[in-house]
Amino acid sequence: MKIMVCIKQVPHQDARLDVNGAGTWIQEENIKFEINPYDQNALEAALQLKDKEAGTEVVVVSIGPERVTQSLRTALGMGADRAVHVKDGAADGSDSLGTAKILAAVAKAESPDLIFAGFMSDDGNLAATGPMLATLLGIPHTTTAVSFQKNGAIQVERELEGGALEVVELNTPCLVTTQTGMNQVRYASLKGIMAAKKKPIDVKTVADLGLAGQVGADAAKIKIEKLYTPPKGQGAEILSGSVDEVVGKLVGKIKELGLL
Amino acid sequence: MIEWSEQHQMIRDVVRRFIEAEVVPNVEALEHGDMPPYDILRKFYSAFGMAEMQRARFAKMIEREKKGEPAKKKSDAEGEGGGDAAAMQLIPIIELCRHCPGMVTAMGVSVGLTAASILSKGTTRQKERWALDILTLDKIGAWAITEPGSGSDAFGGMKATAKRTPDGGYLLNGNKTFITNGPYADTIVFICKLEEDGVAPRDRKMLHFVLDKGMPGLVQSKPMRKMGLHSSPTGELFLSDVKAGPDRLLGEQEPTAADGRSGAKSTFQTERSGVAAMALGMIERSLELSLAYAKERVQFGKPIGEFQLIQEKLARMEVARMNVQNLVFRTLELASQGKSMSFAEASAMKLYAARAADEVCQDAVQIFGGNGYMAEYKVEQLARDARVLRIYAGTDEIQIGAIARDLLTR
Repeated sequence: MKIMVCIKQVPHQDARLDVNGAGTWIQEENIKFEINPYDQNALEAALQLKDKEAGTEVVVVSIGPERVTQSLRTALGMGADRAVHVKDGAADGSDSLGTAKILAAVAKAESPDLIFAGFMSDDGNLAATGPMLATLLGIPHTTTAVSFQKNGAIQVERELEGGALEVVELNTPCLVTTQTGMNQVRYASLKGIMAAKKKPIDVKTVADLGLAGQVGADAAKIKIEKLYTPPKGQGAEILSGSVDEVVGKLVGKIKELGLL
Repeated sequence: MIEWSEQHQMIRDVVRRFIEAEVVPNVEALEHGDMPPYDILRKFYSAFGMAEMQRARFAKMIEREKKGEPAKKKSDAEGEGGGDAAAMQLIPIIELCRHCPGMVTAMGVSVGLTAASILSKGTTRQKERWALDILTLDKIGAWAITEPGSGSDAFGGMKATAKRTPDGGYLLNGNKTFITNGPYADTIVFICKLEEDGVAPRDRKMLHFVLDKGMPGLVQSKPMRKMGLHSSPTGELFLSDVKAGPDRLLGEQEPTAADGRSGAKSTFQTERSGVAAMALGMIERSLELSLAYAKERVQFGKPIGEFQLIQEKLARMEVARMNVQNLVFRTLELASQGKSMSFAEASAMKLYAARAADEVCQDAVQIFGGNGYMAEYKVEQLARDARVLRIYAGTDEIQIGAIARDLLTR
């Protein structure tokens, strides 16, 4: 079987984040990047399936500038077989739908039996790309998977609000988005990293995918108007006194503000 | 090689991620508690597929031996891929030494000394019996040469003996000390002299025996208390009338001459390039910590990094880092060309790297002042740990002797 895993490169969790000069996104110069943590679980789920089923091919797909190569190499080092890198300035500024269109074009060419993607990205937090991709492809999908099994059909436990779980069964081809913590993500083995430099990364442009003019900033329906650090609040009041006094004052405040 | 490649950086990043998740939270227990380093090392081996790699390499080697094909010459085995293999060995050493140099010593002595000596001197049968389990870290090895009365003069002053017994075996006696992994080792390579009538002690044959934990007459001490490297258990071994069959004698036959020294010398050489990598890890970390502290610590109204005496220390640390890194690059570049350093050059590298690490780590304590003397700030541990680099794997003085002898006989 063939599995496609969509990965996004996002700022490293420990990276220092500053707003860029235009106030439209974060400053990306000289910061460390990593594979979106949700996508790492997606990749691990695919690799676990590959470990179980001989002949499984795992293809990782990502969109972005040259630096994305490093994330793709990491994925190849962990055990993915091939990578597709959509590297084209024309894709910059795509919204979720633009991203989903690009991924759908790659998926049509690859025709995978299963697509894994992180449930959302650590930077955008929109959680929209996965379902949009499945819809564009006309295949069933499910989101926020916390466990995954394949016995003929695909069985997924997905997270609902309030700690409830829902069990969903899907037929292939289908798309599953993964929640963090669904599995223990492996380290790329040292031998794997060395072997990764020989594995192919297929570089494509937006035009190669027949999407010229349909994606990127100009085609985006969602634009970031302004990105800013929330201003510091004013007028915090520190209550002092014994515990009983503080509780009394606090209750008084709550009543005064009509919060109850 | 003038810089780390993309692959090297990927290895560094992934190893660093493991160390931050698995080693750093346990440094306290490893350094000041009773946690031996082996379980984390095994986890390290399994996370990065190193045990698997060792197993595959070992299987190929044994297959070749059984077919009677000659062992690959170093230049053939290395060559293309040799640099990669060396990098895969040295980068984890550098990374581990940023936090826990003792773990490198424990791993290095088991895999790099004990298993390597069985592989270089043992018969195929002996390799299968003992070496593979050590290479995969399923078992822990110790290499026992040093004695209370013989350190640098390991061969000359050695008192441990083997005596032939009528059944074709040997009776082993002697005490060994400063034995890394000694307290926990499952497999021990014990080096001693063959006691023969009419042969002067200095001229006796050197024999290497492989011993298993629990053999009657073999006692492994508890870990000794020492200045640094607390995460590497060091102990004593006491042998009284340990019976060893000829199957335990490495090579399964006695060497013809008073030899055994040459093999040990090539082992020393590998050890010396490992020390340069250890030094680099400790220097990098000391510099990083010192730099952050110099920017943030304010005295007399300004960050101490603005004082010239602190700047001088930081600059010297950076010079040391560049020099030692270049020596590591040279080691890797030589390996990728299937070459290795001469004995004297390896000695020079070890001497320089050890002294540089010692000086940098001591200077880091000085930059941190009173805080540096406290364990909480980490530089204190590195300063204690770095000191041993000038003592083990050949003292500074022994390295100087090797360099000078080489110069004077050219």
